[in-house]
Amino acid sequence: MISQFFVLSQRGDNIVFRDYRGEVAKGSAEIFFRKVKFWKEDEAEEAPPVFNVDGVNYIHVKVAGLFFVATSRVNVSPSLVLELLQRIARVTKDYLGVLNEDSLRKNFVLVYELLDEVIDFGYPQTTSTEALKSYVFNEPIVVDAGRLPPLGPAAMFMQGTKRMPGTAVTKSVVATEPGGKKREEIFVDIIEKISVTFSSSGYILTSEIDGTIQMKSYLTGNPEIRLALNEDLSIGRNGSSLYDYRSSAGGGTVILDDCNFHESVHLDSFDVDRTLTLAEVILKIRADFSPNVTANTITVQMPVPSYTMRASFELEAGATGQTTDFKEGSRRLEWNLKKIVGGAEHTLRAKLTFSQEMHGNIAKEAGPVNMNFTIPMYNASKLQVRYLQIAKKSKTYNPYRWVRYVTQANSYVARL
Amino acid sequence: MSGHDSKYFSTTKKGEIPELKEELNSQYKDKRKDAVKKVIAAMTVGKDVSSLFTDVVNCMQTENLELKKLVYLYLINYAKSQPDLAILAVNTFVKDSQDPNPLIRALAVRTMGCIRVDKITEYLCDPLQRCLKDDDPYVRKTAAICVAKLYDINAELVEDRGFLENLKDLISDNNPMVVANAVAALAEIQENSASPIFEITSHTLSKLLTALNECTEWGQVFILDALARYKAPDAREAENIVERVTPRLQHANCAVVLSAVKMILLQMEIITSTDVIRNLCKKMAPPLVTLLSAEPEIQYVALRNINLIVQKRPTILSHEIKVFFCKYNDPIYVKMEKLEIMIKLASDRNIDQVLLEFKEYATEVDVDFVRKAVRAIGRCAIKLDRAAERCISVLLELIKIKVNYVVQEAIIVIKDIFRRYPNTYESIIATLCESLDTLDEPEAKASMIWIIGEYAERIDNADELLESFLETFPEEPAMVQLQLLTATVKLFLKKPTDVPQQMIQAVLNNATVETDNPDLRDRAYIYWRLLSTDPEAAKDIVLAEKPVISDDSNLLEPSLLDELLANIATLSSVYHKPPEVFVTRAKVVTAKTDEEEYLDGNSETAYSETPSHVVSGGSPTASASAVASTSQPASRAPPTGPAAPLPDLLGDLIGMDNSAVVPADDPATPSAPPLPVLVPSSTGQGLQISAQLVRHEGQIFYSLLFENGSQVALDGFMIQFNKNSFGLAAGAPLQVPAIQPGTSARTLVPMNLFQNIMPGPPSSLLQVAVKNNQQPVWYFSDKIPLHVFFSEDGKMERSIFLEDLTNSVIHSIDATVEHLAASNVFFVAKRRNANKEVLYLSTKIPRGIPFLIEITAGLGVPGVKCAIKTPNPEYAPIFFEAMETLLV
Repeated sequence: MISQFFVLSQRGDNIVFRDYRGEVAKGSAEIFFRKVKFWKEDEAEEAPPVFNVDGVNYIHVKVAGLFFVATSRVNVSPSLVLELLQRIARVTKDYLGVLNEDSLRKNFVLVYELLDEVIDFGYPQTTSTEALKSYVFNEPIVVDAGRLPPLGPAAMFMQGTKRMPGTAVTKSVVATEPGGKKREEIFVDIIEKISVTFSSSGYILTSEIDGTIQMKSYLTGNPEIRLALNEDLSIGRNGSSLYDYRSSAGGGTVILDDCNFHESVHLDSFDVDRTLTLAEVILKIRADFSPNVTANTITVQMPVPSYTMRASFELEAGATGQTTDFKEGSRRLEWNLKKIVGGAEHTLRAKLTFSQEMHGNIAKEAGPVNMNFTIPMYNASKLQVRYLQIAKKSKTYNPYRWVRYVTQANSYVARL
Repeated sequence: MSGHDSKYFSTTKKGEIPELKEELNSQYKDKRKDAVKKVIAAMTVGKDVSSLFTDVVNCMQTENLELKKLVYLYLINYAKSQPDLAILAVNTFVKDSQDPNPLIRALAVRTMGCIRVDKITEYLCDPLQRCLKDDDPYVRKTAAICVAKLYDINAELVEDRGFLENLKDLISDNNPMVVANAVAALAEIQENSASPIFEITSHTLSKLLTALNECTEWGQVFILDALARYKAPDAREAENIVERVTPRLQHANCAVVLSAVKMILLQMEIITSTDVIRNLCKKMAPPLVTLLSAEPEIQYVALRNINLIVQKRPTILSHEIKVFFCKYNDPIYVKMEKLEIMIKLASDRNIDQVLLEFKEYATEVDVDFVRKAVRAIGRCAIKLDRAAERCISVLLELIKIKVNYVVQEAIIVIKDIFRRYPNTYESIIATLCESLDTLDEPEAKASMIWIIGEYAERIDNADELLESFLETFPEEPAMVQLQLLTATVKLFLKKPTDVPQQMIQAVLNNATVETDNPDLRDRAYIYWRLLSTDPEAAKDIVLAEKPVISDDSNLLEPSLLDELLANIATLSSVYHKPPEVFVTRAKVVTAKTDEEEYLDGNSETAYSETPSHVVSGGSPTASASAVASTSQPASRAPPTGPAAPLPDLLGDLIGMDNSAVVPADDPATPSAPPLPVLVPSSTGQGLQISAQLVRHEGQIFYSLLFENGSQVALDGFMIQFNKNSFGLAAGAPLQVPAIQPGTSARTLVPMNLFQNIMPGPPSSLLQVAVKNNQQPVWYFSDKIPLHVFFSEDGKMERSIFLEDLTNSVIHSIDATVEHLAASNVFFVAKRRNANKEVLYLSTKIPRGIPFLIEITAGLGVPGVKCAIKTPNPEYAPIFFEAMETLLV
């Protein structure tokens, strides 16, 4: 089982360190950090999440810029350890509101108290935020999240949109509000990540949607919550998923395993057209969804041949909120758009200057074009929450309920 | 609680400890609590606050759970260093274990189990006994784990006090959390015990399967992993188990899914109905695919496991190849694994799609990934003969892009394709030759040269092409030189005209007279003699038909694969190594060195430390591991001798000397020392194999002794070495005559280095397989003694040179050190000698020539004395010039 658990900062500082079995030498955190920083094995330059040094197995995940690491001497289940590390990060975040070096340091007593309940002698015990509330007594010291990027996909609700009370995302589950009274509210986030690969002829090679429904409850007590999804949803385990919700109504995630959503998934919501004329690149984006939806923070990246010296850009007339850049180091064109309204079409012309003759077809050396975007209040799968019902305690009890949808690009690629 | 905890970290003045002492004894509760927090804060940053032990323990008797927890945290850390004082806490522990509050009862038992002090352990038994039967499940589940803790400290005590029976009773507990922890504790105890403690009967099986449904996710993993050891007696029960486990495949926790997959795969070995198997394969596909939408870290573990699963049961995912296509934002370690699986799943049906992907990857930015993608195309060509032509045309397209590393990688794989399909695709050679001058990597060059030599008769200007390589012959790496030598000989044998004749003379001359590489020299001499005695025989030998190579994408031996599959969802399945290769825990626990480590390193068993602490805590550990590593050679001595480490070590060394005297061409010299027995006759069906790596005249040999104690004559011996850290591989086939019953044979296998290097940290493990015509394959593990690699030329004449650098002056040591470090001259040590500063530095110039530098100077006084040591004295003058420039 797990011998030690520790959290390291990006610089390798020990923020949290707990030894559960006393069988791994003390320098393990330093050994781990060196190994990860200077990884150069197996042809790859990034350390895999599981590796062995001198008989000690190091298993780690990166969350919010921190390394969550466990060591072990035995043949443990790595997926168990990885899941546990993710869960520790999530529980800590639930308790502290914000997960970063500062908040961990300020709350070290609480964190150790949590760790004692979460792991005993290296065995995971309880990782549900709700269940832990009965055993953990320290109160969190809330840290200002201001400059620090918060954790998880819910972070996107922080971006720009005034629609959502973004602060709630960084609120601790247990802390009392400065005003004294706790605000009763619950968040349901439907987050979808789209991965699409277009071939050079525009044909869709692969496409998938990865969706999760995350629920975060700040309700006192533990009322039964009912979440109803579309009636026409074809999931094998509709009934049991409702049960899962009840049991983890402390802020855990429920992944609807292997749910097959409609095949009619709206995947061509974006389309990237490309035309290449010698050294001129024209990138065209067409937002192929209804005009009342807006996509935010769009980034289009396109690798160019290694012998590209310079690139000059020409945006369409009257373009606002668009920036372009040529990243010499990674030889990439970058085109950032603050937002696109549905149905709009934007074009970028880039002229590339090469240091040598082209080998023929630029398409062979450039690309693929990839795109990052976020569409709030839209989900490609058409999955919908019909209603969110909270068992009522009294007539006046009426907590705030937020249901939020977002669609994000995961791996959205067009090949040339 | 008010204020910020971080204030406790504020820098401390000298009077910190007395100050804390005072606060800990304050009459105010809040002040005491704050003080304990400060102590814990000091502890976590590595300060030694053990002197406050008594004062902190005094705070233990409190109703405040928060404070109690803090004190316990302190106790776990320091009890080991203050065993006599720790006894002070015992009373409170015992009292707490009977507290009306279940949280306090559990806390007391949990903490006591973490304190590895004998005196405390003695008092643990009674409270533990009570807590195992507590009314509250939270206390019972904590007590269950505590039994495992106690077993780790004192196994006998656990057995004597009947705790094992108690644990087994808890398997029938009505609370699933308790059941899960009892199972986890029993499984761990069983792992460290030789006697059967936790045997799963069909009765426990059904109980555990019932508990499975109600457990927490972690408990489900404990139970599934424990049940994996159960062998169903027949297909019906196996089907039954599968039916109960299958719902776990839908779980959101990937660990549960993978453990369930393991369970099902194990049962599938027993199930006979092909319908059921087919159905199960169908059921397992979606959960495995879903694992790939988890976090990248978990994806990696899943992919490593899937890699094994598809080798055994390719049908499960044969239709899902698309999910293994790489996303552009996958981390590189995920991409590499996906590529491996794509190769394994590639079939005639999907090859077009796969090739399209590979081709796309080959134009990406990451060089390592691109190389791997190009290799993948080649491996598909070798695997699927009907797709070979399409693969080659993709490779040719890639070559035309003329990206240097793509071209080189493509040429390497094309060489393999030529080996697989001789005389089929030679028409592309012309295209390959166009990129000749861009090759700068040894492997690519060697491959191209091999192609030219092999097909010399079809390439009109083969002699010109080879000649262009020959110009740089002396500078080429050994790999290229060897290929050049062979290719030139082939060319000469195929086209015995003037130009090749001159070339062969030049090459042979170069390879025999002007090289110090024995491999190259020996090969050159063999060719030379062959060519001069009988050119026809030379032709038969050099141009003989080569065996066709096969696809290597299913590298794992079937027996290893089965072992790994039984270990799905463990680290073993991620490393693709059997557990005993990397798990060393059992040995460490019994080793004396570990004991010492506890004694010395105990002052900071649990918390983080400042660098200064690392030094103090690290040194005993370092010495302990040094002891462990020096005693290692002893463990590989013949198991027959019950010997103390030291004499054995000597015996080993003497053995080395003796075997070095054995002439290589007379391997059966009877005076050779006994070799360690690696396969005893009891497990080898009468055949006993003893072996050891030895060094003889600069060459490494594997010395083997076969003793045939079986009833039949054994013949047809062959040997194979698995990938290892040093790339050791057999340099020649095993030469063993038929061994009659009751006789033995000794042989030396010449070994090559750097053939098939296993990535990862260096390991001394050498896995060997030996087979003969009569018996199954014998696999065994040997250790690689590093000293066989100590080469004869390790001795360096280090000349000392001394020079006065009159123009130089040193004003400040620190500034000088920094200045020199900026020019890559690195500081080693300094000392003072009669008001002169002496600095020791080191640096290195290309080809790894080291310089050790001693600089003697008075501060601020012009004139610096510089002495250097180096194996290459000819560099001394220019080195002094450089130092003078640096020190002006």
